[in-house]
Amino acid sequence: MDEAQIYTQIPHNLVKSLNVKPQSSSKAAAFTEAFLKNSLQKPSQYDLKDMLTHKAVILGYARPKKESAKRSSKKAKGLNARQKRKMKIFQIKPEHQRYELFLPLHELWRQYIVDLCGGLKPTSNPQFVQQKLLKADFHGAIITVVRSKCPSYVGTTGILVQEFKHVFKIITKENKLKVIPKRNSVFAIEINGFVSHIYGSKFEQRASERSAKKFKVRGTIDL
Amino acid sequence: MCADLSRTPRTLLVCDRSSFLDHKNRVSSQVEQLHFIYKVSVLLPECNSASSSLDSVFNSFTSFYLIRKLPIYELLDKDFLQSAVYQGSVHGLSFRTRIDEDNCVALMPNGRLTLSLDKDSFELLGFEGKPSRFNHRSCSRFEVSVDLTDSSMAPGGRGYLRLLTGLKSHLQLQTDFLLSHHPGGGASLQALLSRYDWSEHKPKVSRRCLSNLVCPAPRSCDPHSLLEWLGAVDADVRCENSSSSFLSSFVCPEANTTLGHALSVSVSGLLLPHDVQRLIQELRCYLQQPQLESWVSLTVHGFTDSLVSWGGSEHGALIGGQDFYSLLMFHDHTYRLYLSTATCHTCPP
Repeated sequence: MDEAQIYTQIPHNLVKSLNVKPQSSSKAAAFTEAFLKNSLQKPSQYDLKDMLTHKAVILGYARPKKESAKRSSKKAKGLNARQKRKMKIFQIKPEHQRYELFLPLHELWRQYIVDLCGGLKPTSNPQFVQQKLLKADFHGAIITVVRSKCPSYVGTTGILVQEFKHVFKIITKENKLKVIPKRNSVFAIEINGFVSHIYGSKFEQRASERSAKKFKVRGTIDL
Repeated sequence: MCADLSRTPRTLLVCDRSSFLDHKNRVSSQVEQLHFIYKVSVLLPECNSASSSLDSVFNSFTSFYLIRKLPIYELLDKDFLQSAVYQGSVHGLSFRTRIDEDNCVALMPNGRLTLSLDKDSFELLGFEGKPSRFNHRSCSRFEVSVDLTDSSMAPGGRGYLRLLTGLKSHLQLQTDFLLSHHPGGGASLQALLSRYDWSEHKPKVSRRCLSNLVCPAPRSCDPHSLLEWLGAVDADVRCENSSSSFLSSFVCPEANTTLGHALSVSVSGLLLPHDVQRLIQELRCYLQQPQLESWVSLTVHGFTDSLVSWGGSEHGALIGGQDFYSLLMFHDHTYRLYLSTATCHTCPP
């Protein structure tokens, strides 16, 4: 119904037949307010106006069940460490230990680093690049051992296949999978002419944990 | 350093008394043991000038070569190995490098290449070695020793390639190098020499005539004081202990006689043990002539900065690095050999 119709004056013919007296609008407003005030119950502890401004009013007792229960059941389906070890998930099969299989990974890594360092031009600030590299992921990089306490590691070079807390696993051009401890070795990583040296002893973290770690600046580092 | 002077390292003196006529004498084997000889000095008592045959021996010491800035991987060159190392004995020693401080290289006549490297260089090289015996608490020096005549070090072999790449790309070691070859001389080294800046050197011979020399009786004198006296004569220290000179309070050991004149000859350079052998033979002939004083002394000094001393054993100069021997010869073919080392080195054989 139209609002204007409610507020219209009672027509003259009706005034006579119903025997009512039309009230002026201001009087009507005052009356309505008074009527409502009397008829509404006043809860003592709540401010009614305040209550009406609250947004959500839940009607009904039972809450809808969340998805969380379902999700946790999904998580439980995953393998635990022992199962993973048994299934040898993180071990590369001998037939897959081929250098050329990992070359695409290296290309991906190259793109990733170039993106990360914002183009990586020869004019880039080497310190900026190193700051980025510290937090970067190295899977797919070609790394070389340049210094080591153990002479037989020196000169080993290959694509980094897996990084663990204490070792790098690399695959060499001779299709050999080599495990190299990070401690007591210095690694070199070359990308677009930038050669960065990594002191493995300071790098003994998992790749995921390293991204959150703050590296301290030190004057000299000894193996 | 001052603290160290209060307790000087003990030294070892081995005295050997025998005769050349005894076929078990070990003179020639002892002489061969000291590979890098820097100086030979001879004292001839009661002699004005050396005989012509003796003089010719002094002047005919094999000349040696100095190569400037030789990259060490050149010593592994195939042609060099074939023309020089396999054919005879090469004596090679890095020059102007200090043992205990710099990286030193030596190529011994038996074909053994020895490198004495500091920690950083060793880690860069990537070739197996063992910690030096002169390390104290921390391992700061390493010795890499390879036998170039071994089958694994034949050109193209695994060990050969590894050392070659190590010296070529990882650790570009360059030193001035002293080189001499027996019996080929310069001819067999020519291929190597032609590629670098080199110079040929003759061993320097210097003669000194001494007069009115106070001399102890060599047969009865105590070896330590005799050696000290020989050293004083060689260094031209007067033994009069006169009041005007306070530089030295050294006195000649008792029971001394005065010699009218004596001749002291010294030869210095990179000398070969083979030439020393010849000199000993010549001195024996010289002793057969009728003489007033029938003895001569011959002292042979090794290089201070040589990284090998007796045989192939390691040498360091930090705590007493002397290695020399003195040979005292008499006209009845008997001799006395004094071999001296610091106790930290191995005992002379």
